[in-house]
Amino acid sequence: MEKTSHAHSSERWIFKLKSRSFYGFLFLICCAFTNGYSQDLIVTGKITEEATGEPLLGVNVIVKGTSTGVSSDFDGIYTIKNVTPENILIFSYLGFSDQEVKVGNKTEINVILKPTVDQLDELVIIGYGTKKKRNLTGAIVSVGSDAIDKSNLQDPISILQGRAAGVQVTSNSGAPGGGMSIKVRGNSSLNSGNSPLYVIDGVAIESNSLSSLNGSEKFGLNPLADINPGDIASIEILKDAASTAIYGSRAANGVVIITTKRGISGDAQVDLSITSGVSEIPRMLSVLNASQYRAVILDSYKNMDNPVTPNGIILDSLNPKNNGDVNWQRELLRIAPQNKVDLSVRGGSENLKYAWSSSFLDQDGIILNSNYRRVTSRLNVDFKVSDKITFGQSISYTNGVNNRINAGGTENLSVIRELLVRPPIFAAYLPDGSYNGYQFGRRNPIGLAELATHVNKSNRVTGNQYVEYDIIEGLKLRSNLNLDYTSMKEDEFIPSTLDYREGYNSGKVRAINNLTWGNETFLTFNRQLGESHNLSALAGISFQDWNYEVVGLDGMFFSSDNIPTLNGAGTISNQEVNITTQHSMLSYFGRVSYDYQGKYLFEANIRADGSSRFGKDNRFGYFPSAAVAWRFSDESVFENVNFLNDGKIRLSAGQTGNESIGNYTSQGEFAVGSNYLDFSGAAPTVMPNSGLKWETTTQYNAGLDISLWKNRVSLNADVYLKITEDLLYNVPIPRTTGFSYVTQNIGSIENKGIELSITSQNLVGDFKWETNFNISANRNMIKDLPENLLTNGFIQNGNFHILKEGSPIGTFYGYKFNGVYSRDEDNVNQVTDGALGKKFKGGDPIWDDLNGDNIIDENDKQIIGDATPDFFGGLTNTFSYKGLSLGIFLQFSYGNDIYSEINHQRNSVVRYNNLSTDALNRWREQGDVTNFPKPVSDDPLRSDSRIQSRWVEDGSYIKLKNINLRYRFPDQMVTNLGLRKLEVYTSAVNVLTWTHYTGFDPDVNSYSGLREGLDEGSYPQSRTITLGLNIGF
Amino acid sequence: MRHIINYKTIITVILVCITFSCSDILDKEPVSSFPGQGFYKTSSDAQAGVYGIYDALQSTTRVNFAYWGEGRADAIATNHAGDPVALNQNNLTQSINSARWNNIYETVSRANYAIKYIPTVFETENDFSLELIGQAKALRALSYFYAVRVWGDVPLIMEPYESVDQEFFISKTNKELVLDQIVEDLIFAANHCKENYSGEKTRILFTRGGANALLTQVYMWRNQYNDAIESAEKVLDNNLYSLVTINDWSKIFTSGYSNESIFEVGYNETQTNALRVLYALGADSDYYPSGSFRDAFEEGDLRKKLIWDTTNASPKKIWKFFGEGFSDESPEPSGNNIVLLRLADIILLKAEAHNQLNNPAEALKLLNLIRKRADIPELNEAEAITLYGSIEAAIAHERLIELSFEGHRWFDLVRTGKAIEVMNPINGLSDEANLVWPIHEDALNRNPNLEQNAFYK
Repeated sequence: MEKTSHAHSSERWIFKLKSRSFYGFLFLICCAFTNGYSQDLIVTGKITEEATGEPLLGVNVIVKGTSTGVSSDFDGIYTIKNVTPENILIFSYLGFSDQEVKVGNKTEINVILKPTVDQLDELVIIGYGTKKKRNLTGAIVSVGSDAIDKSNLQDPISILQGRAAGVQVTSNSGAPGGGMSIKVRGNSSLNSGNSPLYVIDGVAIESNSLSSLNGSEKFGLNPLADINPGDIASIEILKDAASTAIYGSRAANGVVIITTKRGISGDAQVDLSITSGVSEIPRMLSVLNASQYRAVILDSYKNMDNPVTPNGIILDSLNPKNNGDVNWQRELLRIAPQNKVDLSVRGGSENLKYAWSSSFLDQDGIILNSNYRRVTSRLNVDFKVSDKITFGQSISYTNGVNNRINAGGTENLSVIRELLVRPPIFAAYLPDGSYNGYQFGRRNPIGLAELATHVNKSNRVTGNQYVEYDIIEGLKLRSNLNLDYTSMKEDEFIPSTLDYREGYNSGKVRAINNLTWGNETFLTFNRQLGESHNLSALAGISFQDWNYEVVGLDGMFFSSDNIPTLNGAGTISNQEVNITTQHSMLSYFGRVSYDYQGKYLFEANIRADGSSRFGKDNRFGYFPSAAVAWRFSDESVFENVNFLNDGKIRLSAGQTGNESIGNYTSQGEFAVGSNYLDFSGAAPTVMPNSGLKWETTTQYNAGLDISLWKNRVSLNADVYLKITEDLLYNVPIPRTTGFSYVTQNIGSIENKGIELSITSQNLVGDFKWETNFNISANRNMIKDLPENLLTNGFIQNGNFHILKEGSPIGTFYGYKFNGVYSRDEDNVNQVTDGALGKKFKGGDPIWDDLNGDNIIDENDKQIIGDATPDFFGGLTNTFSYKGLSLGIFLQFSYGNDIYSEINHQRNSVVRYNNLSTDALNRWREQGDVTNFPKPVSDDPLRSDSRIQSRWVEDGSYIKLKNINLRYRFPDQMVTNLGLRKLEVYTSAVNVLTWTHYTGFDPDVNSYSGLREGLDEGSYPQSRTITLGLNIGF
Repeated sequence: MRHIINYKTIITVILVCITFSCSDILDKEPVSSFPGQGFYKTSSDAQAGVYGIYDALQSTTRVNFAYWGEGRADAIATNHAGDPVALNQNNLTQSINSARWNNIYETVSRANYAIKYIPTVFETENDFSLELIGQAKALRALSYFYAVRVWGDVPLIMEPYESVDQEFFISKTNKELVLDQIVEDLIFAANHCKENYSGEKTRILFTRGGANALLTQVYMWRNQYNDAIESAEKVLDNNLYSLVTINDWSKIFTSGYSNESIFEVGYNETQTNALRVLYALGADSDYYPSGSFRDAFEEGDLRKKLIWDTTNASPKKIWKFFGEGFSDESPEPSGNNIVLLRLADIILLKAEAHNQLNNPAEALKLLNLIRKRADIPELNEAEAITLYGSIEAAIAHERLIELSFEGHRWFDLVRTGKAIEVMNPINGLSDEANLVWPIHEDALNRNPNLEQNAFYK
């Protein structure tokens, strides 16, 4: 749990220089590559692509029969030394045919590479293997390192936002290292297991937050922020069942495969990247000043049925505690710097390749006292010990320290909530300079940010060791051992300064150990039979084990506010937390692929998963899938259709599962620690259901891939239908059972949708313009819920949502607000409140009387919104001219509603909250025509606190997510400086947002999972501008 | 060919290893807890299961002993929004917190588990197993006794829930049948609980005395005076219990574990209750003594200044539970035990029963035991009638003062048929059907077979 010396190891790396040297920028590193042989010939040249004449970057140039090699640069230029006229140079590049050229006495050899067939021969990572893009039968999107590098984002998930059709990403928290929700093709589950499986270099990693403090607030942490985007070579998202079924029971929500950069043969390439930037809040929200605020509160007392004298804090404007006029946002929001340094070295010979990298990120949050620091280190090595056997290892280490502020939830400990609703009249500081602390249920947010401790420290090691054995031509055995280990420590301390009780301070500590490890062993077979038949097959077995441990203590009455560690606690207030849970899985999987001349393609997968989470009778689940594809462009009919390069139709069907329930849910749980004073007690806490089984998703997919006009335009379209049955759900049961719910398999959900992505090279030549566009629409619908679970025809899901047949998950349910009665007489139907029997008067809200009985009660609640978007997507335009390039990335979402719980807080007088300036238009007297009801202190009619459409807003938006301008210095100049590459850039993230949403940002989702589209006052997202420098040696 | 042998060997070894261990690999029992079924294996499990019931009882009583027992009655006044005002003004809705019965049924569920499984732990029935079952039954009875007093008819659940095949949607059982079950459980407890435990335990666990005392309350609720007298006598004859002196009277509540205590719910600094928030949090406590209560004291009553701050003309706090002069600035959350059954209560109930059976002499004798301790004059029949109109009223008055804020007053008013008479001038209570609480909307939502109580429909 302590920080280790890895932290600054990057600074200790020094490379010996020989012929040239370059003294690096700032405090960092000097590098070069060695060259120790006697001089023969130096050969240089340019490598271009046949079709477009474009230079090719990263082509391997190897002297045949040796391990000497280099690779070409951005302009396709290579320089290779120490060659003799007898040598033969091999030029090789993925997707292109190798070329061999004898050196002879030439010193310049220019090469034009021809694509093997075309760019569709790029390899795409699929489950347990790779496949040529042209041969894909499933729906897979791939995001390459270029898009990743230019996004200038610090975690792999936010990069996917708007970049991949069918993948919806929303932000849980804008804090550095903050949580993201990702959904592939809609919600397919009623429990919270709606996030995809993440596989990094073959390791299925833990992607749920391990944080054990603060309940809902744990969504504010992103466990995938442990991965440095700079290390990523590509991200593949597997969407349809044909692609995902090989991952069986964890794949119902899609699979995200992250592949990190591996070594290349040739001289060491050192890349150093330095970025530095600042963040700010894109917009502040309007709040009332002190006098406006006092007026509203006085009104709220005046509007009471039996007015009482307002509280002294409102009247007494001379008391130094109450004479403030503070806009808390100004006090707490700041311009926050961030810095990042990435260093990587890649190289190797034919037999040993390595990729080494290290990065350091220090990012301040835009709210006072929030900061995230991350150090990552990675080493990927592959070594061939013989013709037959290759060993390899990927290992990465991440140390993260997240100094958080409490920004989640609905309590008054949330800084975000307090900075919006703490009354402006409460002075920030008292005349003696001390904090003006707790007053009337409101804490001082400056104090909360500055004095409260809220730290999450984690150390994570992810590793994968493999051995691959070429048994005979085409038959390979691979076995790997993988692990993902996180140790995390969380500390929380709230000093007595922030409490209303003298000497009342409290602290918590948690230490977490989480280990996932497993073994996967599989055989792959690849064989061309005759001229036209290609056959490949896969068979394997996998075992995975999870072990989670948490220990912790809660304490209070610390002897001093200066000792926040638990040894200082006067009382250990909670029973000690010490929990271990375990889970394991055993799986068998297989795949057969066959194609005839690449024209007719077929694939079938199956996986059998056994999980310890289910009762013995239902332990194993079987997940099959099959796909066919037809490359119609290869048919003779299309031979003369010149504009069509490639065209393929794909069809697939299959089943996947979901096992995201508690480790012991099916067994039930009898918990210890239900103590009576000092006597140890035990009590049933989870009701058993031994019949629990897998949640199963059946998915059908049809896709079309077309490539036109010499591949200048390519288009991928998919339609799908996903039906999930036997949903695992915590079904509410009468409390008379002693339990509040029991997990059962119930009902079904349907998702259907359409996805389209287009890539187009609009202009080629010196001035280039490329457009990427994707758009997706998903329709989610609950198809079936068991009759006996429904009260009034639905299941209440949290405070704001319901689950109802025929409606999507994420449906908001409440009273419909139809404006405000202008005068008492306007209530012509004598509509009354059901609970109090009181007639609504002028200034009261007009509630929609659904059943027309003139009584507003539960029966008038209705569907008031839907958190799922009608469609969403992204548009990237990249312009480049020689070394200069400009990328503009727009991202959008349309038709999603947000339930703004924070706007409810900001527009009601509950607990003396401050209000938004909308309150200036409040109803004041008979005849006022407005949409803002009269404020009423302790309102018995609950005008503000009912769940209502007034707090539902349109969350549609278009966001200028990123502008990226970069310049790559000409090679001549760079070479003279002794460098391989020199690039400067500037990038702006979250530049502009067009939306009607009145909160901080429409890209908000306080909870992950089922309770979508809820804004409880999440940490706002920031606009960030960075400057960067990439240097290659 | 050597290669082929190698790979075959490798694969075989791997497959064999994995397949052989496979059946065990997927068996993961909870490490830090027990599976839902099969917890009860040893006698210490049985003991732990019973302590777990008390743990649930702590949640039941932590606030609600006051909301249920005092919130709707005349001794308290409140400015506090939420349940206090709603109860005090008789504006009960199906969304108020005190209408929730979750904790009661959680207690019942734990008791049902214990009652079902403890017999399976012991090869033969013995004192220890019976004692544990006795406690479980007493706790179940106590829970249901609260339930019938608060809601009237309630679902009667006597088996633990262990499978989804069991019927979840249980409708209400007539309250008299529930009371019959309560009596049956308590008689079992009175016969099989331990006579006493060493030291403090004897006050916070159910003993035979506790069961008999609760039985007395139940019989009085049912107006079964002879039965009440009989069970009360068993308590009065038990030398574990004696009235403390007035000097130690406060300590019954502030320190707990007094000789007068028959059963109290144990709390400590980490297993806390809401006593301080309910009664003594200076600026913002739920309750303060009502004017009529403050005026109800007889001259010279020594208890008066022990109950609230008499130096303050409009006292805002009740310091009965924290001691005279208690300052609300103290940061301590309240860890005081909540005394549910004590000797003074049983003495006064017995007095009431005798009076109902036309034995005023015996009634007055018992009443005067309590009056004497408070240093107010002992009464004869004439004096009682002069002062209070009847002996019954004199006893009721004595209960109001002596047992003030301990969660008895509302139930006394309902039990003796005085609720409407007393509360109508205060909050307009006028309907017998209004004497019960509404069933919480959450419970109605979860159970289609549950009907809201008539008054609240």
